[in-house]
Amino acid sequence: MELKQEPIITLNALRMNYGDKEVLKGINLEVGKGQIIGYIGPNGAGKSTTVKIMLGLVTGYTGKVTILGQDISKGDVEYKRKIGYVPEVADIYDSLTAAEYLTFIGELYGLNYNEVDKKAKKLMEMFQIEDVYHSRMTSYSKGMKQKVLLISSLLHNPDILFYDEPLSGLDATSVMVVKEILRELASQGKTIFYSSHIMEVVEKISSRIILIKEGQVVADGSFEALKDKCKEGSLEEIFNQLTGASDHKKIAEEFVSVVQEGQKI
Amino acid sequence: MKDFIVLKFLDRFKRIFEKLGVDYAVMRRILQVKLIMDSRRVPTIMKNSSSKNTGMEDKKSSFNMSLLMYGLIGLMLVSLVLIGSNFIYQMSFVFGILIFMLMTSLISDFSSVLLDIRDKNIIFSKPVKSITLSMAKAIHILIYMFTITFSLTGIALIASLVKYGIIFFIMFLAEIILVDLFIVVLTALLYLFILRFFDGEKLKDIINYVQIILSITIAIGYQLLARLFSFVNLNMVFTPKWWQYFIVPLWFGAPFELIIHRNYKFTFLLLSILGVIVPIISIVVYLKLIPFFEENLQKLNNNSEQKKENKRFVNVISSIVCRTKSENAFFRFSCAMMKSEREFKLKVYPSLGFSLIFPFIFLFSDITGKGFTGIASSKMYLTIYFCALMLPTVIMMMKYSGNYKGAWIYKVAPIKDTSDIYKGVFKAFIVKLVAPVFTLESLIFIVIFGIRIVPDLILVFLNMTLYIVICFRAFRKALPFSEAFGTAQQSEGLIIIPIMFLLGGLALLHFIATLFTFGVLIYIIIALLVNAVAWKKAFNIIL
Repeated sequence: MELKQEPIITLNALRMNYGDKEVLKGINLEVGKGQIIGYIGPNGAGKSTTVKIMLGLVTGYTGKVTILGQDISKGDVEYKRKIGYVPEVADIYDSLTAAEYLTFIGELYGLNYNEVDKKAKKLMEMFQIEDVYHSRMTSYSKGMKQKVLLISSLLHNPDILFYDEPLSGLDATSVMVVKEILRELASQGKTIFYSSHIMEVVEKISSRIILIKEGQVVADGSFEALKDKCKEGSLEEIFNQLTGASDHKKIAEEFVSVVQEGQKI
Repeated sequence: MKDFIVLKFLDRFKRIFEKLGVDYAVMRRILQVKLIMDSRRVPTIMKNSSSKNTGMEDKKSSFNMSLLMYGLIGLMLVSLVLIGSNFIYQMSFVFGILIFMLMTSLISDFSSVLLDIRDKNIIFSKPVKSITLSMAKAIHILIYMFTITFSLTGIALIASLVKYGIIFFIMFLAEIILVDLFIVVLTALLYLFILRFFDGEKLKDIINYVQIILSITIAIGYQLLARLFSFVNLNMVFTPKWWQYFIVPLWFGAPFELIIHRNYKFTFLLLSILGVIVPIISIVVYLKLIPFFEENLQKLNNNSEQKKENKRFVNVISSIVCRTKSENAFFRFSCAMMKSEREFKLKVYPSLGFSLIFPFIFLFSDITGKGFTGIASSKMYLTIYFCALMLPTVIMMMKYSGNYKGAWIYKVAPIKDTSDIYKGVFKAFIVKLVAPVFTLESLIFIVIFGIRIVPDLILVFLNMTLYIVICFRAFRKALPFSEAFGTAQQSEGLIIIPIMFLLGGLALLHFIATLFTFGVLIYIIIALLVNAVAWKKAFNIIL
């Protein structure tokens, strides 16, 4: 892939083991400014691990990870100031109120309390959950927590966004809003690294799709390029073809036949 | 946002933290958030008494109340410190209690802090240096430890200053701080060890059992408080034995003997040195092991271990005691719930522990009066009825569960007869919880009173099963495991008192029966018949 500017993220021969299990088997990647990367793959392919390594949450990898020109293994955490992160599992201190949580996160990024408070309240308003700004998040629905997580990842106006299933739990309207926000952010020059299992969404918003399987990149390119290469119509079909999951119909038939076994009540 | 006095105190040491490479402003903010979250948690020591889970509980008061409880236990320490000048005994005893209290409350209430894996995802994905986060965690735990320690020992410290003077006071204070550090490190090392070899579920189980032990100990502690001083023998002379070097509280008791009494025996010297050296070594080891700790923490969420359950046993029992298929299903379901639900165990097991101990509390006050031989031929075995005193509380708990939301399954499944649900559940309750406690108790009673009481024990058991049905009828009925803990416990509390008198009535009938020849046998037959009818009819209710 041709890049016009300096790459924002570079992964070089990235390998990672958990015990004897090799999770990443040499990932090479260059990501440029303003791209929306759809990072997809089956469960356990190594998507979350890649993201966690880039955030410094997982150590012990081999290879080189460079973000904004900085080798992250050097121990300097400053590069994280430019990153926004929504984790796959909604880890959140839910005994806090959204106000307490968001100002805390903002201050960890070095922002000033009043500034974050104002910004967080405004963003909550946009998501139409401003009335629970001062309630504890234990009472929130899954979608509301997800919105708080999204806001917390954007408070400091980061240059790079790592989103792991950012749409989970959101209703249809909110999904549309968030998709539009992502597109708008990318057009402002932000780089978005996005992983999801919902192929329709990835297909629609990604400017580039990277598919990994068993710790290796098996496809990399725009949706159109992948479509030409695989001669399939939708990303879902491309996904199934490339991950070798073509027998889904057979599995479904067997499943139903087991359901119908045994005595009738 | 709320500011804490502790943080203002820490501000004075800002320079030191910054020298260590800690980003002080960030650390302060992390601590502030952590302290806010703590104030919204209910400590184990208070769990059985106060109303909770309403989400609106008075923020600070629950923790402050628990400090008050620690203060009361602290009064016991005061009298131990002041009672005489056999320091090696007194002070070792004091430190023994202190170590036990600190360790259990650290494990039961602060495990969530030591083991919070959210920290990593939430805080470490932000530009926060790892030393800042580690330091914040360490300070957080120490704040908690010192608060508890000083509410436990505060009065004792002042009393020691008044009675024994400044040197004693300084030694006492220094050792308390040393003990605190030692306990934190020891607990962390214990977790590290468990996580190294087992998975997260095992660790959570262990934490659960420690919580249960803490609840039982505190309740029994109050019972024993008055008797404590009768078995603290102040005239005992300390004779050194090799194994005493392994008794940790002695390490902390010895320095007082050494310095205050100027007793320069080799044993005391060695014990005192252990008391200083071991905590310091453990801190060094801990600092070296922190990276391993963080790594192993990731295992917390894994549950690799596949449990091979002894299904045969449950199946055999359920086929013996249950009649219908759905009764069977509920029997097995309840067995599984009672075995695995930690919150349920935390509420119920302490009660079971009391019911084991209650009969003896009454028995012993009599033994001290009449002696063992005098009691063996008496009718004091009827104190075994105190075993059943906890049944109402436990039965009331049967409708609660931490996973109460799963109860939608009752509504969805086509269950024709609710009586099957209750029969299955209560049979499981008897088999899993009542029978083991009662059997153990009976064996001990047979040893004391002889084989002659076997018919009586059978009758007691029959009366207990009947009593279970009565309790069930008396309480507000709800499907088992279908409501959140703490929602309605308060309002129901009062009905327990008349129900307990009813138990007294059953015991009285039993006593009257023993006055006649064959009285007990006749009563057994009657009880069998009543039981049969009760178990058949009583559960036919409509919710």
